[in-house]
Amino acid sequence: MKALRQIATPMVWLITVSLISLNLNLPNAHASIIGTGTVVSAEQLQQDRTQVREALERKEVRAQLVRLGVDPAQVQERVNALTDAEAQQLSRYFDDMPAGGNGLVGALVFVFVLLVFTDLLGLTSVFSFTKKGSLR
Amino acid sequence: MAALAWVTLLAACATPQTHHLLTYPEGLKPRVELVETPFFAQQEYQCGPAALATVLNAAGEAVHPEELTPQVYLPSRHGSLQPELLAATRRQGHIPYVLHPTLDTLVTEISAGNPVLVLQNLGLRISPVWHYAVAIGFDLERAELILRSGTERRHVMPLRTFEHTWRRGGFWAMVVTSPDTLPQTAKEQPYLEAVLALEELKQWPVAEAAYQAVLNRWPGNLAAQVGVGNSRHAQGDFPGAEASFRAAVTSHPDSGIALNNLAQTLADQGKLAEAERTAERAVSIGGELSTVFRQTLEEIRRLAH
Repeated sequence: MKALRQIATPMVWLITVSLISLNLNLPNAHASIIGTGTVVSAEQLQQDRTQVREALERKEVRAQLVRLGVDPAQVQERVNALTDAEAQQLSRYFDDMPAGGNGLVGALVFVFVLLVFTDLLGLTSVFSFTKKGSLR
Repeated sequence: MAALAWVTLLAACATPQTHHLLTYPEGLKPRVELVETPFFAQQEYQCGPAALATVLNAAGEAVHPEELTPQVYLPSRHGSLQPELLAATRRQGHIPYVLHPTLDTLVTEISAGNPVLVLQNLGLRISPVWHYAVAIGFDLERAELILRSGTERRHVMPLRTFEHTWRRGGFWAMVVTSPDTLPQTAKEQPYLEAVLALEELKQWPVAEAAYQAVLNRWPGNLAAQVGVGNSRHAQGDFPGAEASFRAAVTSHPDSGIALNNLAQTLADQGKLAEAERTAERAVSIGGELSTVFRQTLEEIRRLAH
């Protein structure tokens, strides 16, 4: 037991010293590198001041995605890949933005007839049975 | 009344962009078709993932629409939104670039070999049918555009009809190139912002290649020089970062940011004497970031003494 303590004490010292020196030798590498965004756009300088607002916007977009049926496991990564400007755009205009999906949802009969007519004029391209621009 | 209706309709029929393109087809081949562009027939409402997979595969990224669906599709809206197509492109390690909204730009990109993803409203404003397709060719003599669209591998549409549908989609179009190649019509500032968006996802090797491509077209661009340096620094390539920051300092001796990042990179390699001199230069330039410059200098002095 005494022999063990004789070995252990210098070991503890060795580990302590090496941990301290390891800590000292690690340069604070990334702290002082200024991001490219600061050069690309002067607006980035104000980032700190708007971070709270951006966080709220992203939270809002997350909520919208979940509401529209996106798998919650996917939502975080989808929001992360947006730029601040895109997140802001989505948070403000989510319901007004066009969702490209090629569906004519719930069209009334008169709209249907109108679209056949405009298809034939080459103004629209909804139906495959109309030959585009054949009335022109 | 009927006459008035016709006048209104004819006014609505005007397609100035098509007219301009057909009147001044400067430097364009009369007919181009990117026949090699892959085709993914869309599943119901899935034109977003299908169109995105088309342009990504054309840019060399082997990805299937099914992999993109969980990244862009909104089940309750039966479709995909533009910002999410841009975001998903970044997640694949590619840079999406939104085009200047003219038909001239669109056909210029096709001529350069880049298929163009477009948003169309195939219906009317009162009854929209939003649709993503990929323009892959044009025929100026026949005034036609060729698209990979929906379930049609080769959809030929009169240019005038396309202009109507595209105008209702806000003339929105994007291209995806491989990171070391710039879109033909890329402009300096918007393209840098597109690369920056990818850098912010910490896709360092792609960002480095993209900033390098910017430097090849616009040598001496400060943001791209700093971007290459920062991307290399983040990957632990300090000598490479040093070379890039040195180039930035040489071409922009008044850039405190370039000096600051060079000083930090020198310090990271233990070259503390030169790091201190460089940081002092940054501090003497000052400006809005002078607090950061001073912190860098203090940190280097702490390490040196």
